[in-house]
Amino acid sequence: MRARLATAVGGAMALVVALSACSKNTGDNGDTADTNKPRSGAIATDPKDSLGPAAEVPGAAKGGTFYILRESKISHLDPQRVYSFAGLMGSQLYARFLTTFKDDGKGNVTLVGDLAETPGKNVNNDCKVWEFTIKEGVKFEDGRPITSKEIAYGIARSFDPDLTGGPTYLQEWLADSPQYDTKWDFKKNKTSLPPGLTTPDPRTLRFEFNKPRCDLPFAVSLPATAPLPPDKDTGVNLDNMPFSSGPYRFTKIQPGVEMVLERNTNWDPATDPVRHAYPDKFVWSLGSDNTTQTNRVLAGTGNDAAAVATGGVPPELIAKVTGDPALKARMIVAATPNAYRLSINTTRVTDLSVRQAINYAIDRSSITKNLGGPYGAVPLTTLLPPTTLGYKKFDAYPAGESGDPAKAKETLGGKSVNLVLGTSDDTASQETATQVKNALEKAGFTVTVKPIPEDGYLDFVKKKSNPWDLWVDSWAADWPSGASILPVLFDGRSLKAEGNSNTSQLNNEAINAEFDRVLALDPAKQAEEWSKLDEKLMKESAPAVPLYNEVVSVAHGEKAGGIFIGSIFGWPSFVNAYVKQ
Amino acid sequence: MSLSPVEGAALAEIESSDQEPDEKKRLVGRSPGQLVWARLRRDRTAMVSGVVLALFILAAVAAPLIQRLYGVSPNQQFGDLLDATGMPLGYVGGVSGDHWFGLEPGLGRDIFIRMIYGIRTSLLIALGAALVTTTIGVVLGIVAGFLGGVVDSVISWITDVALALPFLIFALAVVPTFSLRFYGPRDAVPTWFAVTTLIVVFAAFGWTGTARLVRGQVVSLREREFVEAARASGAGLGHMLFRQLLPNIWAPILVAFSLAVPSYVTGEAALSFLGVGLPESVPSFGRMIYRSIDYLQTDPAYVFFPGITIFALVLAFNLFGDALRDALDPKSSR
Repeated sequence: MRARLATAVGGAMALVVALSACSKNTGDNGDTADTNKPRSGAIATDPKDSLGPAAEVPGAAKGGTFYILRESKISHLDPQRVYSFAGLMGSQLYARFLTTFKDDGKGNVTLVGDLAETPGKNVNNDCKVWEFTIKEGVKFEDGRPITSKEIAYGIARSFDPDLTGGPTYLQEWLADSPQYDTKWDFKKNKTSLPPGLTTPDPRTLRFEFNKPRCDLPFAVSLPATAPLPPDKDTGVNLDNMPFSSGPYRFTKIQPGVEMVLERNTNWDPATDPVRHAYPDKFVWSLGSDNTTQTNRVLAGTGNDAAAVATGGVPPELIAKVTGDPALKARMIVAATPNAYRLSINTTRVTDLSVRQAINYAIDRSSITKNLGGPYGAVPLTTLLPPTTLGYKKFDAYPAGESGDPAKAKETLGGKSVNLVLGTSDDTASQETATQVKNALEKAGFTVTVKPIPEDGYLDFVKKKSNPWDLWVDSWAADWPSGASILPVLFDGRSLKAEGNSNTSQLNNEAINAEFDRVLALDPAKQAEEWSKLDEKLMKESAPAVPLYNEVVSVAHGEKAGGIFIGSIFGWPSFVNAYVKQ
Repeated sequence: MSLSPVEGAALAEIESSDQEPDEKKRLVGRSPGQLVWARLRRDRTAMVSGVVLALFILAAVAAPLIQRLYGVSPNQQFGDLLDATGMPLGYVGGVSGDHWFGLEPGLGRDIFIRMIYGIRTSLLIALGAALVTTTIGVVLGIVAGFLGGVVDSVISWITDVALALPFLIFALAVVPTFSLRFYGPRDAVPTWFAVTTLIVVFAAFGWTGTARLVRGQVVSLREREFVEAARASGAGLGHMLFRQLLPNIWAPILVAFSLAVPSYVTGEAALSFLGVGLPESVPSFGRMIYRSIDYLQTDPAYVFFPGITIFALVLAFNLFGDALRDALDPKSSR
């Protein structure tokens, strides 16, 4: 009996080994979509671009229920508070904005008017006064027409300090101060509008700023410009049931479990340049982690056939998908605007040659391989991600993809440097930290890794007085312009005690002056200048080590069609989604 | 001379065995320890599992030596042996003459040398924690069971409280504060400190099961004749507890111990995974197994090698514990 059991166990093990041994990995599964392609695009000048209906998607059909799989609940649904990728992309289904991006999913984007007829009129050509004309025939879910009044009210309510979480560009620009909620108190002035925002007539919305705000057409593409009638404002409770202006309206919201969107019959496709609204219903099914989601849509049984796994294919499962052509055809791969960098605390590591040596030493190849290679991350040598308009690739510290420890040692010039690397304590971050440590120690640095609890990580590293020298940080721009990246990350005049996006704590007067100069330029001319400034920053200050640009690989079921990765936020877009019949 | 039934049973067994009469004569004069050893020697399972355990412990102790012979260090990365998506090239997860068990997908570190060092860390933590918890559990359980009354009530109450505290939440709250108390925000926390912290945390919670088990056993023993006899002849408390009662409850204690060791191996893995255990760069068996499970579909070899090793380790511990129990107390029913 015992002998037989031993044979059985041994046999089973031999089988496992045999199964895994039967294929040799020759490493030829690395080919992939070109994720380094820069974004090309502009602000639409022809008003026809902003007209609906959107061009038909080939092969698309109306009807059916489309499923969206996601692990956790979306932090906010209230359009004025939406700021997560899932929220930003999901809100397109139930909210319309002043402007929006027409996106082919291949990197070609055009900013067009959504509720507005054009993406804004720069009245005096000085970027200080902007006017938007609202389209005719746009309606809320209860059939009331959408006018400039409701859009202005939406912007006004984002001044409410209770409605946290959303972007703050418009509030800060209108109030001309980061403390916008003290400059204009929404709760006391519910019937009036913030300074600089006016509605001369029901179809006109006018912004007047003290300083030139050339990026306004981009900023108003964020969901914070979604309209809301004052009588439907439920304050913080709007998160539980938003009032729809888009092609769908919520019929059921169970936080963390399920959200159901059904057609809004008052939405007129003729007014909408981007949304199609093919399925009858969209269902957000929440709770599965990304491994489970991916396995579910790959198996594709039942409802999962018409589902998309928004969590992305985890690095562990990439080989399974790429090894099978049938599955590979159901994985979409695209670069996101999310750029990761190793921030160097310039107030602690004051020696430029040390910061340059760190740049030479870093091994990007091993870090990106651990994240799924070309399906998870592509090495990056610039502070701006390739998705930025006008992007130019350069490498200020050419050391090959695996780093150049010898060159780093030479740059260090025999100094012995101790560095403390703060890292979030989740598995992926700890593994990246291990690799950064390995690469730096090869170049003669001494590195101590300090784990920081994941949930408090960002709060800690954004403190001005934090005790670490290095940490991994990331930034995803809200629109693909250098203006929403470099000044945010490296302008030293905005440094405060806590909550710094400038985690390198760089404060260089020459650089700050450059920011002011470029920001005042015409948006079309800015693109090239940002890339030049990026190179200057890297060469003269080396405030960080660009690590990689995140790539998402998203799997979907056989019946899920029309899904693409939005070029702006790098998250699946649902505007073309349809259920294959 | 002790009056415990262990020896009585041992004699009974020897008398009933069908061995040569002259051999029997020589055996009569042996001490209990020698008897146990003789019985273990005769048990093939015990010998095989014992040898396996000895090999594991040898591998753990001799890890730096093995590293020198093998020529690969546990944190060395072999990125060029991985394909573009981080999967090891070649057959069975990159098994080759240089990398006997292949490479970790993603990071590209050598699995064999990390397992050797992982066994070292994990066995140290697991054996340490199991020894401490068993000692605390046995002492408290035996005292509570034998003395009864107020002492029993108080100890049982403490046991209940310790059982009611949620282990993971406590560990998550205490472990980081522990290292912050002793090390500054820029100091490296040495591995031995992290290991000790883990043992302390496990010890604080792990003793309850053994304590309850031992208390129950002692309660059923304390009215037995040999205890009465010892008490009547004026034995002190220490003698009663550790010379009279303890030898009679070794069997369940050993079983509990042999089950505790593997559970601490996985417990350490869970804590490391939650970020309160050991840092990522310290090779740990538990973390390796946890991490490898994600690769079940794409790199089964990565799951196989650590999996089969922990399987062998746990099986060896359980079989050896079982055999030891049989050797100590051959009359008890299986």
